[in-house]
Amino acid sequence: MAEVISVSALNQYVKNLLDVNDILFDLALRGEIANFVQNARSGHCYFSLRDEAASVKAVMFRSDARRLGFRPEEGMKVVVRCRATLYERDGAFQVYVNDMFPDGIGSAQLAFEQLKAKLEREGLFAPEHKKPLPPFPKCIGLVTSKTGAALQDIRNVIGRRWPAVRLLLCPVNVQGFEAADEIAAAITRLDKSGLVDEIIVARGGGSREDLWVFNAEVIARAAYHCKTPLISAIGHEIDFTILDFVADQRAPTPSAAAELAVPDRIEQRRKLCTLEENIHNCIQFKLSLCYNRLEQTEQQLSRAGLQAAVDERGTRLDALSERLQNAIRNKMQAEELRLKHAAALAASLNPYGVLARGYAMVQDSRGKICLPDALRPGQTCKLRGAERRVTCTVETVEELDESTQKL
Amino acid sequence: MRAPKSFEEGMTRLESILDQMQQPETTLAESVKLYAEAASLMDYCHGTLEKATLQLDEIDAQRAPRPDAAH
Repeated sequence: MAEVISVSALNQYVKNLLDVNDILFDLALRGEIANFVQNARSGHCYFSLRDEAASVKAVMFRSDARRLGFRPEEGMKVVVRCRATLYERDGAFQVYVNDMFPDGIGSAQLAFEQLKAKLEREGLFAPEHKKPLPPFPKCIGLVTSKTGAALQDIRNVIGRRWPAVRLLLCPVNVQGFEAADEIAAAITRLDKSGLVDEIIVARGGGSREDLWVFNAEVIARAAYHCKTPLISAIGHEIDFTILDFVADQRAPTPSAAAELAVPDRIEQRRKLCTLEENIHNCIQFKLSLCYNRLEQTEQQLSRAGLQAAVDERGTRLDALSERLQNAIRNKMQAEELRLKHAAALAASLNPYGVLARGYAMVQDSRGKICLPDALRPGQTCKLRGAERRVTCTVETVEELDESTQKL
Repeated sequence: MRAPKSFEEGMTRLESILDQMQQPETTLAESVKLYAEAASLMDYCHGTLEKATLQLDEIDAQRAPRPDAAH
């Protein structure tokens, strides 16, 4: 019969057995993450690793977990480097994980996918948040290395296309541990400066790993909060960085970014020349229009024109006076005719005409026409015939018998 | 008649001058006045296009507020 020992002694004994085993001290273990929890206060991660048949408890302390590029998730297949031992207090067999790799996919790639998904959910890539680039920027902020090829490329392209612009370089390291913070700070600095109306973040070429810094969350957030339109130019044709998704415009190379950033001098000159020509033509046209009108008016006012006007009025005058004469002539003929009629009528009524037919007028002594009735015997009267006057003395006055007269 | 602030403003003004000049009711006197303005604008715009030197200045990122302080 063995000696009686305490639980603590047992656990310590087993732990010692396990700890001296070299294999258990540092092993690579493949499994699937289950029941993953991260203690909010301590930052330590607790989970299980399992396969189809078995599972084992796992712990990853904050100091190790912090270095992970990706976030461990439920059901994720991983390979961990760990030490297997016993947790003495609970007598629990468990593994202490000091590093973790996604199984099958690179950890960096996984971190990238996870960050991308997270930022997308937050709306950092939303098309409605994208700002249009100014068509004619005056000052462009550059976030790139002072010594890199990217800066040279940008200077060359902009110098050729639109040298009127001013470049404001905020030099940064594009490699190394500090680069992400530096780049983010430079974006913010340029944005807040109020001096630039466009920002280019550029890196000239490099391997995928070299460009990895542009996947940093801090850069994505700085770009998202940047009020100035931002172009990313992380010289890589195929792969997109997180910054490419957040930027208002993505260019495949720094040169392409420079082309996007400024208008083309040659094209603008062509536009200006066309405008110039149109304005020239317009004033020419206007001038010739006025000139033509002037010429026309001048012609109308010339001697020939005046003569024509005089002739035209002369003709009108002639026509008028002829009509006037005709009217007068007609009027006179009509009046003459009326006079003739009146004269004929008057002649027919002439009492002296009657005398020619043998009648005589009786006149008193003073020559006044008088009726025979008024004469008294003894009175002198005169009888006037057509050609002779006879002085008579009235002898008798007798009344005519009506019946006798009728005979 | 003031100088434009930028090439863009100059071009925009030139376009509107052309538009105004093309209106049939714009008088010759007005057109001549517009034309004079257009001439100086064209001078300015050509000058801007021909300006040959690209200016490059530097700004220090360190005076910037911390990026996380910005949000």
